[in-house]
Amino acid sequence: MIGVSDEAVEVSEPVGRVLGTADATPLQFWTAVTPGSYLQLDDVVVTSRDLPDREPVKIAGVVTQVRARHEGAQFDSDVFAIAEGTLPALVQEAAEITTTRVDPELYVPPAPGAVVHRASGAARDAALHFDRMERRVPMGTGRDGVPVFLNADFLDGTRGAHVSISGISGVATKTSFATFLLYSVFRSGALGADGTNARALIFNVKGEDLLFLDHENTKLDDATTANYKLLGLPASAFPDVRVYAPPRAGDSSGAPDVNSRLTGVDSFYWTLEEFCANRLLPYVFADADDERQQYTMVVHSVTAHLARHAVAAEGGISIDGRRLGSYGDLVDHVVDQLTDDETRSTWAGSAVNMGTVNAFARRLIGSKRDLSRLIRGDLAARRPHQIKTAESAQVTVVDLHNLPDRAQRFVVGVTLKTEFDDKEKSGTGRPLLFVVLDELNKYAPREGSSPIKEVLLDIAERGRSLGVILIGAQQTASEVERRIVTNSAIRVVGRLDPAEASRPEYGFLPPAMRQRALLARPGTMFVNQPDIPVPLCVEFPFPAWATRKSESGPPPAGAMRSMVQGVDPFAVVGGRGGSSDDDIPF
Amino acid sequence: MTRMFVDAWDPAYGASFEGGDASDGPASPSSAQVDTDVEVPAAQWAPIDVAAGVRCPDVVFLVDGVRRNDAGLWTAEEDGQSYAGLAASYAAGVVRCDLRRGVAELAGARVGRGLFTASPSAGDVQAGSVRYEVHRVSGTGEASKLPAAVQAPLTALEIDISGEARNHGSDGADLLVVDGPLRNRRQLPRTIGYVKTQQKQYLPAQLARVVTALRPGQRTPVFALGTVWGGWSWYLRLPGGSGAPWSGIVRVECSPDLTPEEAIELAEVSGATLPRFASSAYKDPRAPQNLVPIAGLERRLRGLLGDARVLHRALTLATAHTR
Repeated sequence: MIGVSDEAVEVSEPVGRVLGTADATPLQFWTAVTPGSYLQLDDVVVTSRDLPDREPVKIAGVVTQVRARHEGAQFDSDVFAIAEGTLPALVQEAAEITTTRVDPELYVPPAPGAVVHRASGAARDAALHFDRMERRVPMGTGRDGVPVFLNADFLDGTRGAHVSISGISGVATKTSFATFLLYSVFRSGALGADGTNARALIFNVKGEDLLFLDHENTKLDDATTANYKLLGLPASAFPDVRVYAPPRAGDSSGAPDVNSRLTGVDSFYWTLEEFCANRLLPYVFADADDERQQYTMVVHSVTAHLARHAVAAEGGISIDGRRLGSYGDLVDHVVDQLTDDETRSTWAGSAVNMGTVNAFARRLIGSKRDLSRLIRGDLAARRPHQIKTAESAQVTVVDLHNLPDRAQRFVVGVTLKTEFDDKEKSGTGRPLLFVVLDELNKYAPREGSSPIKEVLLDIAERGRSLGVILIGAQQTASEVERRIVTNSAIRVVGRLDPAEASRPEYGFLPPAMRQRALLARPGTMFVNQPDIPVPLCVEFPFPAWATRKSESGPPPAGAMRSMVQGVDPFAVVGGRGGSSDDDIPF
Repeated sequence: MTRMFVDAWDPAYGASFEGGDASDGPASPSSAQVDTDVEVPAAQWAPIDVAAGVRCPDVVFLVDGVRRNDAGLWTAEEDGQSYAGLAASYAAGVVRCDLRRGVAELAGARVGRGLFTASPSAGDVQAGSVRYEVHRVSGTGEASKLPAAVQAPLTALEIDISGEARNHGSDGADLLVVDGPLRNRRQLPRTIGYVKTQQKQYLPAQLARVVTALRPGQRTPVFALGTVWGGWSWYLRLPGGSGAPWSGIVRVECSPDLTPEEAIELAEVSGATLPRFASSAYKDPRAPQNLVPIAGLERRLRGLLGDARVLHRALTLATAHTR
């Protein structure tokens, strides 16, 4: 039965009847709307079909198209005669219903003439399959102002994982929806302890708008608070956030490079030793473009050589008897060694020709400017500088917005690889790690391959069992690796570009919804989840956290420990973990 | 060279006047007594414009009926005789045009179905969900005479429905336009009959020239017809005609029970009202005489009659069971 029991089936007033001038099918039918009532897109309706010798079949669906026309008019100009009051005609509205649920599962068409009711309460929940969801994550309200839910089974890896969000940048509010979804997962309690223990890794690609997640929004009004309450969520900022930013370029102290957020920001970097020992060199060449070149071979042999021969030396490294104190030095040394006929074969192998080596050297030298602030030999190795979600706060924000493209790729690639490897080693799917990454089409393009794409594909295909959930956003899903998109159980679409909307990647949108996606307002998303055969139109509330400096409230107490860093500068460096006084380096 | 005009009506409907040529109009002269001195003396006849003070009423009711022959039948009597039968559907409806609010709505419609036959033994026929009531026709009841028999119940239906429509929502100043001659509907108040097709030449030749000289919106003076169904009558030219002498001409009549003054007043009102309902040629095969609300009403009524093929099949099945 649809609904919990007969008593609980709340069907409100009849709104029309199934019409018989168009075919009624079990999956789609048209309803003529009773004069004086109305149906709008996304309304949920229910009708039933009596069958001989068994219980009636309840057919529930959502409105996917509505039309109104003059009946009795033959010519376009008849409308003037009708409006003037000389030609009798009837305005008749009709709504197309796409079936979402048939109960019991007997696929018979509704009979033309059958009364169609607007569904509310339990009947609405049943029509949208909410009653079958054991754990429901609120994701906003429908067009009717009633909460709409996401089945947590398809979010946490139980039956599916990963979210793919598409839409034009700026108006599609992809990042806002991703953060709201995270907030809902953390605060709704739908995931129980999993939700509370879950971690999130967010890459902030554009502007500094994700750096204020832990700041209250001063522009929050009562209506928005009420909206949050309706969804069963508190209206507040993220309670536990840690922000990482790259060191300021040219600053030897390694202070984080941020403009608007001044408190509670840690800088992240990698030491030269880590760079060599963890074999991070391939991520310098993380452009899909790079992979096509011949020098991939050189990259791998140089990486291996560095891992084998580099020795840690006071933050920097020592190799071939030379101490290298910066990324620039390392690059110069590697290039020197490669161009030298005597040493080339030990670094790059013997079968490599000069042209390939030169191509590699050119690229490597080019990377100096972009990466020298991230790969350091001059900062204390023991100072905390790594992004590790397990040791960080619930939400870890990595700020990339003022890094050049190559550096962004390096950070994303290395961070994801490290996190995924850690998860793999721990061998358990808990705690969950949500990774929010915008511009997925840049990191995992459909064509070519790159180390980052490999990591992302790994996450998309195996992350589900390891508890790594990718929330990827992109302007165009058609340009993202197909295996990543198809592995996403939940697909979300905001405002789309007209040319993009016609691509097969959006086949899950019915034609009318595809058209609507072209004019979706900010804050409106179409969410498709495996449970429900029709995407749901969702309006999610305005963020309760600040999205820019101007609307941010006072920083949370935790971030006030220092004006610059989240880490207390007066704490003994490396003094964590119960070290004794003997470890004091002075 | 003679000027020529193509008749606006679709050839299937005949012409808006029968016989004669375009300059003469209706050819068969009427034997009816005509009194042409009612409004102005016959010698002073001239086209009359709508007087400045005359307003179109806010509410105009238009009544019309449609009919359709669903099937022809033959009966087989016990004594070996056979009678023709006609199963017909007919419907009458009223459109209430509220010109002030700009709403034209169906104020009432009723459908009737009948089996018209002279057979003494025939009974009602239940065809599917539809029942054809038997209407006994007197006389021999040849098949060719049966269609005319449908007219009586249809007219009765029209009278019923127009009375009803006026009972609800009449403001006392409305006008009821009946499609076709008034005949036995003359007792309805503030009612005019609207005759699209001119078959008889009622006026003497010199006065007929006044009719052909009418410009759109103008009417002739009122004259009295002395026939059985006669009454006060006048001609009116609707806009949108082809320009031929008799194109767009309609004859309007009202009850002879009215005083000449009342008839003239109705003539004035009709001159202000009817032209705005005139249809245009590309939309209606009988433009401009077939009024827009009437055309819309007929479409609705035909819709109410049901699908002819479905009914024909239902009748076939129903009669097959009686064998």
